[in-house]
Amino acid sequence: MKTKITVAALLLTCTTFSASAFDFSNLDIGKTVETLKKIKKANTDIDEPQEIELGQGIASNLLGAAPLMKNQRVQQYVNHVGRWLAMQTERPDLPWQFGVLEDNDVNAFAAPGGYVFITKGLLARMSSEAELAGVLAHEISHVLRKHHLQAIKKGARTEVIAEFAGEVIKEKGGNPALNKLVSAGTEVYTRGLDKSDEFEADRMGVVIAARSGYDPFGLPAVLQTLQAINPQDSGLALMFKTHPALADRLSLLDRLMASSFERFESQPNLSGRFMATLGGAK
Amino acid sequence: MKWLAAVCLSVLCGLAHAGDPAYTVRDTDLRAKPFADSDSLSVIAANTKVEIMQRKSSWMQVKVSGATGWVKMLSLRLGAAEQKKRGDSGLAALFNVASTGNSGSTVTTGVRGLSEEQLKNTRANPQELEAARAYAVSKAEAKRFAQAGKLGARDMAYLPEPEGDN
Repeated sequence: MKTKITVAALLLTCTTFSASAFDFSNLDIGKTVETLKKIKKANTDIDEPQEIELGQGIASNLLGAAPLMKNQRVQQYVNHVGRWLAMQTERPDLPWQFGVLEDNDVNAFAAPGGYVFITKGLLARMSSEAELAGVLAHEISHVLRKHHLQAIKKGARTEVIAEFAGEVIKEKGGNPALNKLVSAGTEVYTRGLDKSDEFEADRMGVVIAARSGYDPFGLPAVLQTLQAINPQDSGLALMFKTHPALADRLSLLDRLMASSFERFESQPNLSGRFMATLGGAK
Repeated sequence: MKWLAAVCLSVLCGLAHAGDPAYTVRDTDLRAKPFADSDSLSVIAANTKVEIMQRKSSWMQVKVSGATGWVKMLSLRLGAAEQKKRGDSGLAALFNVASTGNSGSTVTTGVRGLSEEQLKNTRANPQELEAARAYAVSKAEAKRFAQAGKLGARDMAYLPEPEGDN
């Protein structure tokens, strides 16, 4: 009993801290504790099928903003690279899907459950498969660490998450909580993730590229390329708004990769295969 | 086809940044060959302008005041030198991250991209989602693809945050 009271007190302390975010200040204590128990469950209980379902809705919205580039060879190529990378991670069995968006802006997106998209504008600025792998591995890392899922949870009303988490997946469109979270999840791309999430994805991305047999310097090479583009270029506006400064990301990778990556230097970048695949694309 | 023009030019020459200016962000050895144990030709001081010739994994071949050699790619930033201010703001930005941990409040370019509007006004596109699914490949296919490219899986643990971040 004593333990229970302590737990309740602890939960109440948490409420005080986050009262503005959760808006429980007007509820009575018993109800608050009850709700908090639910929330505690909800916060940890968006299971993998639900994560995938949420990601599917978000991916559908992303594709509503920009459709896929109509080129089967390029799309399948990107899927092969991405799937191989994902196989070297702790979540190899998600239904990973990769796609190139018909959009000249420079950007890349990951959605919960294994959806990864890059724009044609970003692909066009790459010069090897290792560079593509570096960018995909960065996005894959967001999925592995559930960065978007956490951002959605942080931003959405807790009751909505509790409702969604409590639902067994039903017939399509039958879950209003899902629709709300999909909208919230889509909005995350206009605000961006926490900077620390982006730095973490950079750190993990270079390791995943190295594990997969690629020259791991593909990601920093792409970041360096982007740094050379005029920052006033409107095609970079959203990417710049939603990511830490390229100089900071490069400094971090500089320190990180100074010693431990030398043994991977002779790994291939497969620029030939990259060009052979994209050379005939339009 | 136009979108690939830049790619074709750079990759066919094998020189993604050939002729681009860059500058050093720290004191850097100029080496005869792209290896850490290669002879050091000289030490280039931080914030020195160089001209890029080509990249090889983590190395960039550069021209600097008449000499040619290799420096670590990540000791360079592309663009013209004079970047003291940039370094300062980078550090400031890092401190900012430490205090807020949130990108939304600190990063803004003042320019709203078209894509942001597109994202805000988007609608679900289930047909495209279906098309995307059709392009997905199996693990077995991905493995064959890796073998064709002579990509071998290697072990490497994730790395911790370097000291002093966040």
